[in-house]
Amino acid sequence: MPAFQPTAAQFRAFRDDPHDGPVAQVNLLKFRVKAAYKPSDPEHGRDEPGGAAYQRYADAFAMAAAEAGGRCLLMGATERYFIGQGDWDAVMVMHFPNRQAFIATVNHPSYEDMHRHREAGLLAQDLITTRPSIPETQP
Amino acid sequence: MKATQPTPEQAAGFLARDQDASIVMVNLLKFKDKATYAGGTPEHGQGLSGAEAYMRYSVEVTKILADIGAKPLFGGTLPRFMIGAGDWDMVALVRYPSRAAMIGMTQSPAYQAIHYHRDAGLDHQHLIEVTELFAAS
Repeated sequence: MPAFQPTAAQFRAFRDDPHDGPVAQVNLLKFRVKAAYKPSDPEHGRDEPGGAAYQRYADAFAMAAAEAGGRCLLMGATERYFIGQGDWDAVMVMHFPNRQAFIATVNHPSYEDMHRHREAGLLAQDLITTRPSIPETQP
Repeated sequence: MKATQPTPEQAAGFLARDQDASIVMVNLLKFKDKATYAGGTPEHGQGLSGAEAYMRYSVEVTKILADIGAKPLFGGTLPRFMIGAGDWDMVALVRYPSRAAMIGMTQSPAYQAIHYHRDAGLDHQHLIEVTELFAAS
């Protein structure tokens, strides 16, 4: 089933995981064909793809994440599935020094303002929390 | 449907594109519970897990990647779904200097010699080619 937010249980499982080392958040993203800003949003009425709206969110999120030591490792647009079948439009991987840094980012004062871009652009996603394991990519 | 290899259509579509531009491949990996090494391989009967077999593949393929100028960008283990649902065991990103380099690697004797670890350990995967809009390195 397409998902947009963590369930309460998923959020608790992330927050309460005793592992306190680096985490990498792997976002598999499906965008709206057309951005769907609300009438109250300054961007309402723009004719643009959902991916363009989401990119505003991604840029603002990366800036907020940087204050907590987080950074974007990759934002990539899907060209094709070479093995297997799926429907994601993009893959974004963010690296955080620990899970508290991720929680601090979604609690950042700017998050409420940036979130309209996510809502306007994103149709569904998977968010997979992983432990980064390739030494060369550690900051 | 579980896949470990491209379909003929997927392979043809991949080969038809620009051979010279760099690409990033996103691996979503699911391992077998127990490795299935064929009789006659040194690891046959050792009782390795699928994850252990795939890690042997990963160690060996990383050396080959360096030889062709490809770079592992990221590997993520112990995946937990914070949004959505799924059943992957590992996520790995690799940048290849070109499509031709990736194809050449898979056809090289060095790669063919270590590929049996992948066969033994991998249950199925998604392999997604992405165009980099942003990369940290």
